[in-house]
Amino acid sequence: MAASSYGLIATFPTAPDLYHAAEKVRDAGYKNWDCITPFPVHGLDKAMGLRRSIVPRISLAGGITGFCTGMTMIWWTGAYDYPLTVGGKPLFSPMFAFPVSYELTILFTAFATIGGMFFLNGLPMHYHPVLKYDQIKRGMDDTFFIVIEARDPRFNLANTRALLQQAGGTEIKELEA
Amino acid sequence: MSTTPATAPVPQKALFVGLAGLALTALGVAVSADRHGPVLAYLVGVSYWTAIAIGMLLMVMIHHIVDASWSVVLRRQWEHGLSAFKWLFILFLPLLVLAWVKPGFVWPWMDLMHPMHGHGTVGSDVLYLKKAAFLNLHMFTGMTLAFFAIWVWLSARLRKASFAQDADGSAAWTSMNRKSSAFGLPLAALSLTFAAIYWMKSLEYHWFSTMYGVWFFANCVRGALCSGVVIMVWLYRRGDFKGILNSNHFHSIGQLMLAFTVFWAYVTFSQYFLIWNANVPEETFWYNLRELNHDGSTNQWWYVGLALLFGHFVVPFLALLSYRFKVTHHIIRRIAFWVLAVILLDLCYNILPALKDEHGDSLNFFSLNLLWVITSVIGVGGVCIWAYLRSFPTTKLIPIRDPRISECLTHHE
Repeated sequence: MAASSYGLIATFPTAPDLYHAAEKVRDAGYKNWDCITPFPVHGLDKAMGLRRSIVPRISLAGGITGFCTGMTMIWWTGAYDYPLTVGGKPLFSPMFAFPVSYELTILFTAFATIGGMFFLNGLPMHYHPVLKYDQIKRGMDDTFFIVIEARDPRFNLANTRALLQQAGGTEIKELEA
Repeated sequence: MSTTPATAPVPQKALFVGLAGLALTALGVAVSADRHGPVLAYLVGVSYWTAIAIGMLLMVMIHHIVDASWSVVLRRQWEHGLSAFKWLFILFLPLLVLAWVKPGFVWPWMDLMHPMHGHGTVGSDVLYLKKAAFLNLHMFTGMTLAFFAIWVWLSARLRKASFAQDADGSAAWTSMNRKSSAFGLPLAALSLTFAAIYWMKSLEYHWFSTMYGVWFFANCVRGALCSGVVIMVWLYRRGDFKGILNSNHFHSIGQLMLAFTVFWAYVTFSQYFLIWNANVPEETFWYNLRELNHDGSTNQWWYVGLALLFGHFVVPFLALLSYRFKVTHHIIRRIAFWVLAVILLDLCYNILPALKDEHGDSLNFFSLNLLWVITSVIGVGGVCIWAYLRSFPTTKLIPIRDPRISECLTHHE
């Protein structure tokens, strides 16, 4: 059973119970675990020890790429590949390249943000082991869960179960992978 | 957490500094050979603080019209800031009196006999005559009185309703402020646009730009947001805002600062780009004055323009991208002070090149006039800060009975 185990799931009746349990799991040093709540719990990210997402950095990279693409494209087409004087203007100027670069900055930032988010959160996800848990739907209604994955280096069936119990979790079940 | 100020700050110190600054500016007018310089510097000083006050008025009204919750606590401080308008009006009066006593001294189109550089007088200038129905002393006076009447009246209404709610907690005050904002926002938008046109743009009355009012608006809002950050950090360090503000409030106002940094850049670039691209002499001369002398050499304003591009956009934009910078008090405050300083530079860039030498070239940026800009800013600023500090202890520290106050105190992104 242990080989095909996804991890342990524990039930908590209220948001404060879950919040404090999350702090205990965080302090125990677990990395591969998650909370399942029916609504966003303010401050839970801190209680779980989650750092801020790195999506903004991916967005920034996208933005810089877009800006450079715009500038390069205008310079390439107007001043290098087919030099053409328009309206007595210089062959290249950052002035008239700017609107295009600006648009591409926004476009590439948007793509990078959406793409980076999906890359990091793994969505769309058609199957997840917790879905096999018969009580999981209550996590969309009135119950809170903590799932600790077996692949976490600190995972140990007996110790982890004890931790969840000590943190106030009830109905601690092993999840099938 | 306290709801009344622990200790009221002493406002008299600010008033004293303000009066000293005003006295120095007056001295500057008295001792300067060319009095035009210190007078325009004074216009920069008055416009600067008026811009910040208008920004605060807009922020309070936008807060009400969108029913914001995160800024409830900060709104009260902006409301205190609005008490400066009546003093700004009094401080604008010398310029208004000067316009009547010596027409054409500050705004050349007020004097029909004012010589044009190289050809004729204002009275014989068709470009003036076409605009004479709008650009005349009576319109200028009436409109300026109307601007201040609108700002003082709206501020009084918004302040009264908000302060009265502290006492009885009636939600009717919130609805009243929402209604005031609904008609106040268009009024404020129009008045600030026309104020920018009359006070600043008309210094070069040949020139036209439909972006001008929007440019001024962007500076107004940025000034109010940065002042808000300075006040937030000040009250947090004093202890008043401990337990009231959390990092999400700083994140939220930092995001608005970032948004308006981009907005300012968008507007300012659009103005420059359209004029650059169309390349029509009636428009380009305004930027030429700020780049070149008549012999084609680069003047100091060219570097001021570049300083604006980097200082007013690139630097604050990159700094405000960072979450950490936005929520770290001493860093966001440094950014706020930086932007407040660059707004002043932006106003100098728009007003001071109206000072010209006998060749029609703009006078240098680095000159004695810069000193009078600083004394004016300190002078008018001292009076504005005095007005804010005087209003500060008259109410609760935060609007304790605002319907959104608990949402504000638990603000989460």
